[in-house]
Amino acid sequence: MNIWDSLIITPFINVLLFIYNLIGQNFGIAIILFTLLIRLVTHPLMVKQIKGAQGMQDLQKNEKWIKAQEKYKGDKEKLAQEQMALYKELGINPFASCLPTLIQLPIIFGLYQAVIYAMATTPIDLLNLVRHIYPGLLKVETLIPLNNRFLWMDLSQPERLFIPGLEFGIPVMVVIVVLTTYIQGKLIQPPAANPKDQTAAMSGMMNLYMPIFMGYLAYTLASGLALYFVASNLVGIAQYAMLGKVNWANVFPFLKKKDEIVVKGKKINR
Amino acid sequence: MNKRKITLISTVILAAVLLTACSSGLSGSSWPGITTNGDTFYVANMAHVYAIRATDGSQVWRFPEKPSRTMYFAAPVLVDNQLIVGDYQKILHSLNPATGSENWTFVANGPWIASPLVIDSSIYAPNGDGNLYALDLSGNLLWKFAAEKALWSRPVGNGDTIYQASMDHSIYALDTATGSVKWSKNLGGAVIYSPTLSDDGMLYVATMARELIALNTDNGEILWQRKFEESLWSQPALHEDTLFFGDLGGKAYGINRLNGEDIWAQTLTDPVTGKPTVTEDSVVFATENGTLAALSFTGERIWTETVTGKLYNGPVQFDDKLLVGVALGESPLVLKTNSGQNIWSFIPPK
Repeated sequence: MNIWDSLIITPFINVLLFIYNLIGQNFGIAIILFTLLIRLVTHPLMVKQIKGAQGMQDLQKNEKWIKAQEKYKGDKEKLAQEQMALYKELGINPFASCLPTLIQLPIIFGLYQAVIYAMATTPIDLLNLVRHIYPGLLKVETLIPLNNRFLWMDLSQPERLFIPGLEFGIPVMVVIVVLTTYIQGKLIQPPAANPKDQTAAMSGMMNLYMPIFMGYLAYTLASGLALYFVASNLVGIAQYAMLGKVNWANVFPFLKKKDEIVVKGKKINR
Repeated sequence: MNKRKITLISTVILAAVLLTACSSGLSGSSWPGITTNGDTFYVANMAHVYAIRATDGSQVWRFPEKPSRTMYFAAPVLVDNQLIVGDYQKILHSLNPATGSENWTFVANGPWIASPLVIDSSIYAPNGDGNLYALDLSGNLLWKFAAEKALWSRPVGNGDTIYQASMDHSIYALDTATGSVKWSKNLGGAVIYSPTLSDDGMLYVATMARELIALNTDNGEILWQRKFEESLWSQPALHEDTLFFGDLGGKAYGINRLNGEDIWAQTLTDPVTGKPTVTEDSVVFATENGTLAALSFTGERIWTETVTGKLYNGPVQFDDKLLVGVALGESPLVLKTNSGQNIWSFIPPK
């Protein structure tokens, strides 16, 4: 077993299966609770990441920075020096948003892989799973086979809902994954500081591509992963909402109008 | 294309590679299942079923001819000029052994992980959906029996009764004519490999509870059961009154089939997997790390050979040769002499 397996995958699998056992062997609820647990554990990192990103956004609005960009248009070196000076002056750490993300990445991939391992659908997959189980914590004989049924889904297979009269199955989870990924992306997208804000343009594009990409994964891979994507998206939205970083107006435009009324302090058509 | 788009596309591709690399649950997770009629070897491996000439290891045909997304886990079974093989996409195929053309199909609700058993003119096919399907030789359903969980092991039978072990921890004795349950027994752990049936009506089965259990086929009574320290990923092979099998801790055992006591134990180091093969003068154990170890019936080592890849089952004996199915290796099929020397290797054409 390599270091990645020993430090990340194996503990994650055991926690996931421990939860599964604890709640009466329901793998769907175990995936949801496991996702929630991991997101709670990594919440402080997320807060740091958001604060770091906020600092960078504030910099985009900073008058000194806007003027410096104009002044040193052709001198990248000087502009970089000015930027560093502003970082110091405003107390911004440029790595404050990257570092927590980097720390979270292995955890997210670990969580994802743990779910894959636990849904062993073939003999060799099962053999690999058994080897990851701590015998002191879990009993293989009572654990295997895992109960992969959740609602109408077999979590180890791609999901389709078959309705009497229809010859094909409807990929309900794909629709939910696409919608929640899109909504999460829109909700956490901050308003652009200025029209040239590359970060905002980039996240705008990501908001289009990511839901399609995640939908494709949900369509082709086991539905346990689709469930994990949905849980992860919803928990993510809740986390941002608790931190007051959700822009509801991005999804509900009528809220935007109300905001404008307050901000501009003048009457606007309702 | 501007820098932003390139960065974005790169990010998405990277994420796709990382995510799908961790999730390709099926790739490389099957091992070759082999059967033979003497002239031709039939091998179900990964995405195809191959017919291979016994003389030189050349390919006669493969099914399906074009690359497909399905996988084969179960060894094909030859009966009445038909080759019966199930795939992971829920389809049981009957193929013409001479040409590889399809005679009929039967669709279940789950993947076919285990081989069917054929007795007289009936096919007993266990499926991942938990059902044991009894079919006639034209693929028509005669009856089906529903276990509580998936069926991953091939049933064994002795005429009017078949014994089907299940992932639901139980073994069922079923009437071959009707599928009705004669008796069932909870074994305390899931069963991956098939039970072994002796001529005098005893069943030997290894479970995921690390136990080897002997049962009376008349009523399912447990005659003895023995717990091992390491996991068992093996089907016992029977020779006279000795059962041969191994554990994942790397030990090979010869135990008395009447009481479960050790006759001998030999350390092979690597995890012992599958059913050992009993030859005229030896028993050949396969290990997960690609070692074949031939031991005498009293446990002395005769020879050891290694293949590149992993072994999850013992070799298939053919005349005085051994046919080895290799997972995750260059060649899925290697023909060896009884003393372990290579004769030929089959490398599937692209």
